[in-house]
Amino acid sequence: MSVPVSQMYTVATYVLKQKLRGRKRYPLVLMLEPLFRCNLACAGCGKIQYPAQILKKHLTVEACLKAVEECGAPIVSIPGGEPLMYPDIDKLVTELVKRRKYIYLCTNAILLKEKLDLFTPSKYLTFSVHMDGLREEHDEAVCRDGVFDEAVDGIKAALQRGFRVTTNTTLFDGASPLRMREFFDDMMNLGVEGMMLSPGYSYSKAPDQEHFLRQARTNQLFSEMLSSPKRRWKFNQSPLFLRFLMGKKDFECTPWGNPTFNMFGWQRPCYLLQEGYAASFRELMDDTKWENYGKKSGNEKCQDCMVHCGYEATAVDHTFNSLKGFAETVAVTLSGKL
Amino acid sequence: MTLEGWVPQVNDYTSLHEVVDFAFDYRGNTTVVKTDGSEVVGYIFNRNADVPEPFVQLFDEQGDGPMSILYRDIATIKFTGKDTAAGNSWKAWVERKEREKALRVAAAGAGQLESDPHTHGG
Repeated sequence: MSVPVSQMYTVATYVLKQKLRGRKRYPLVLMLEPLFRCNLACAGCGKIQYPAQILKKHLTVEACLKAVEECGAPIVSIPGGEPLMYPDIDKLVTELVKRRKYIYLCTNAILLKEKLDLFTPSKYLTFSVHMDGLREEHDEAVCRDGVFDEAVDGIKAALQRGFRVTTNTTLFDGASPLRMREFFDDMMNLGVEGMMLSPGYSYSKAPDQEHFLRQARTNQLFSEMLSSPKRRWKFNQSPLFLRFLMGKKDFECTPWGNPTFNMFGWQRPCYLLQEGYAASFRELMDDTKWENYGKKSGNEKCQDCMVHCGYEATAVDHTFNSLKGFAETVAVTLSGKL
Repeated sequence: MTLEGWVPQVNDYTSLHEVVDFAFDYRGNTTVVKTDGSEVVGYIFNRNADVPEPFVQLFDEQGDGPMSILYRDIATIKFTGKDTAAGNSWKAWVERKEREKALRVAAAGAGQLESDPHTHGG
């Protein structure tokens, strides 16, 4: 694990407070989408297919901060769209840092070098760079040649300036475990703090519908990829979530773990499914029929989903739910064996 | 498959609730035809049929909104805007890459033919 101690402490105390307060459902990461506009049109993305007037719009900083306050999660992930295209991204980040929120600014890094001057290095700010594999695989996933090299340049520039940088990788069917292991080596050689992995979710609006992973294939791919992990590989996520992806743990989804806010409101029920919007965070939590989601519900849209936004929160909750869960997390973290 | 261009007739076979659900799922602008005959063009991003007064919410063509329209004020919804999710950008990308690869292979093959003495006449 590569998460800094201060961040681990913040998350741990937050989760324990929720448990002491007896809150059954609490958010862990706010997915804040200030805009849907993007400078790429990736094959597996179902987030940016909107009419022009929607793509031109974005949230105000005030609306973003209100959502952050309402939600209360200690971590704010800023995906999109491409957040570096958000005209007020510097103001938003400054305000979030003031509020001591741990920010993951999820970017394709095409604009990273050019925009770095807008930001100040902070333990609260991490650039989470979208990297779907080595050059060939990444450029294919984002449907444009040269993006891998631009992202690498952006990563190097950000690291040189003292920023925290991680990578986020979505895996689709056809991914080669050996190539991915090579990719992990390359990313660690670049000097990133850690890597985040997740299988892709089959967005019904994504252009490529053929290559989303099913559960058994996900388990096989992650087992092959992560068996005998090298000690130098650092993952910026719960080791129990990685064990879940490898098929070594059975978790149920926590759809409220990563609530999503964008210009439409609070998305029901989760970051991936888009079944309507609530006007407030309270309404989202209180009025969503949570029993209709997750594998146990029988909802067919949830059956093959193993995505981080539903299961990482489960893994974190599991860590703090019992001494056994805590001991397991510590053991995996210290041994480095997944 | 896309619903682009569909002008549904709300009747015994197609309920307004179904039409609204299709419109909610549609990633393009639609034209809401109201019972008073007026029309509103925009992107429907939300609907709630589980409340006493079911409603849709939309941003109009200029991006203004959100505005709410009650189900009971809707006669039908026309799928008039381009379906932005119906593109085949990924397919087009794969096809282009395959064409480029084929051209590279062909060029390499031609180069080999030219440099191979056995293929030259004389």
